[in-house]
Amino acid sequence: MAIALARSVVVTQRAKRHRLWRRVGHGLTYLGLAVALVFFLGPFFWIVTTSLKGNEDFFAFPPVWIPLEPSLKHYAALFTRSSGARYFTNSMVLSTLSMVAALVVSLPTAYSIARWRFGGGLLSIFLLALRMLPAIALIIPIYIVYKLLGVTNNYLALIVIYTVLYLPFAVWLLVGFLRDFPVEIEEAAMIDGCSRLRALVQVVVPIIAPGMAVVALFAFIATWNEFLFAIVLTGIETKTMMVLVTSFTSGGTDMFYGEASASVVLGVLPAFAVAFMLQRYLVKGLALGGTRG
Amino acid sequence: MRMLGLTMKRKQWEPVAFASPSLLLIALVIVFPLAYSFYLSFQNFDLSVGPDYEFVGGKNYGEAIFRDPRFLGSVWNTAVIIAPSLVLELLLGLGIAMLLSRVLHGRPIITALLAIPAMVSPVMAAMAWRMMYGVKYGAINNLGRQLGILDVYFDWFSSPFVSILAVVLVDVWHNTPFMMLVLLAGLQSIPTELYEAARADGASAWQRFWSITLPLLKFTMAVGVMIRLIDLTKLFGLIFVLTFGGPGGSTETVAFTTYLMGFKDFRMSYAAALSYVIVGGVLVLTLVFFWMQRVREARAA
Repeated sequence: MAIALARSVVVTQRAKRHRLWRRVGHGLTYLGLAVALVFFLGPFFWIVTTSLKGNEDFFAFPPVWIPLEPSLKHYAALFTRSSGARYFTNSMVLSTLSMVAALVVSLPTAYSIARWRFGGGLLSIFLLALRMLPAIALIIPIYIVYKLLGVTNNYLALIVIYTVLYLPFAVWLLVGFLRDFPVEIEEAAMIDGCSRLRALVQVVVPIIAPGMAVVALFAFIATWNEFLFAIVLTGIETKTMMVLVTSFTSGGTDMFYGEASASVVLGVLPAFAVAFMLQRYLVKGLALGGTRG
Repeated sequence: MRMLGLTMKRKQWEPVAFASPSLLLIALVIVFPLAYSFYLSFQNFDLSVGPDYEFVGGKNYGEAIFRDPRFLGSVWNTAVIIAPSLVLELLLGLGIAMLLSRVLHGRPIITALLAIPAMVSPVMAAMAWRMMYGVKYGAINNLGRQLGILDVYFDWFSSPFVSILAVVLVDVWHNTPFMMLVLLAGLQSIPTELYEAARADGASAWQRFWSITLPLLKFTMAVGVMIRLIDLTKLFGLIFVLTFGGPGGSTETVAFTTYLMGFKDFRMSYAAALSYVIVGGVLVLTLVFFWMQRVREARAA
């Protein structure tokens, strides 16, 4: 619009200079963003190229920035020698199941808050306060209880804790989506003889499905990324990718690079997917703690 | 009349029934453990000694707040890490958000690319940066040597000062994107008419920034900083992978010290007390946060 305005005005010497400055300004804007992109994506570049290097390339100087003969042998080693396949599957299964459980449990609660203002403002504040709660305060009693019940290193016990950790966030987001949903549609369904629950499942859910997908993806990555509960409560069978990756730190500052970088690449894959798919919701999701279990 | 009574009754049980599954789970898995932990913090439960324990009153809290140099040191360390991280994340986030708001082409893709670090887990972020910092094979030392800036292999975790800087840099890398996204949303909610009017009145870019952008972005900035502040008090995964608290405990944060107390020394009661001291601190910060939100809503109304 500013350009259109400038055109309609008689082009004076001053306007010409102004346009030159604007072009310089634009150049600087893109330059600044390019620097930011290098800083924020540089480590990913280093990790991906490192994971594809042959062993002799790690030690080369000058460093090999782009491996000329990329190989997947570190991935193969990670999957066989370090049981990476098992722990990758663990992360996938835990994240998927707790995501589904969190959605199923949180939906009726969110509905109750959105439609009937259940619990007044107090419940909403309570749920938001849970987001602020330091996880370290919860892991100590949970560890003792799980130890007493003998359910450390147990998939189901992990799914329970991850589902509940994510509930406050899921309810919060879903309330927002449900408030935007017109009451008339479900009322019409109920006049036609639908029960409240059936109206929710068969009428409301299909329409707010995109919103639920947002909640689901955030839930998935929250469990995928979670570390404190995983390091304390998992054992040799139930380890997640986050726990596996820390096992490569034992070699001092120059640890075993190949498998370590391969496991980081696999560990950050969901982050890439989510950053692109959930762009519109990133602010809300991150502010509510959607990625940090 | 009777029908009305029936529907009233229905309406009374339905909200409870719908809400109860998650509330029961939250009570069982979050509220009950927290209460149990509060009870434990007044006992002397120590798993390295045995399963028996007895009531010791406020002894654990007294030790934590007045006599434990390690915990008090970790409070100091946490503050030393938080302060520069917050400042850098705010300034860099604001700078990048302002650059992004000026971009005409490709803004969504650039924003998504810049947002990726924020979606990565702290453990993975720290692991990637450990390989950046690696003494002989790390990217930074090698790039520095190649460009002739560094003439020796530099150990980024040999001194407390440099270690803290290294941790701050990783946190800035990890969380500036969040600040950037929050501030970009804030910038986009400022009506462009304001800038056009100011420009017509001959205001310079600097004046527009000081008298339009900053005042209107103030609350967004405060909210972003508060959220980061509360999250930084929980700094754990980053430390676990990057330094494990070293060198000499100089990067031990409150969450990390509590973790070591509970799961290395197995002093469960004392760790529970420490965690409640942290909860107390976070509670104060959270109340400030809610108060700020209220002020903002009051102003908006």
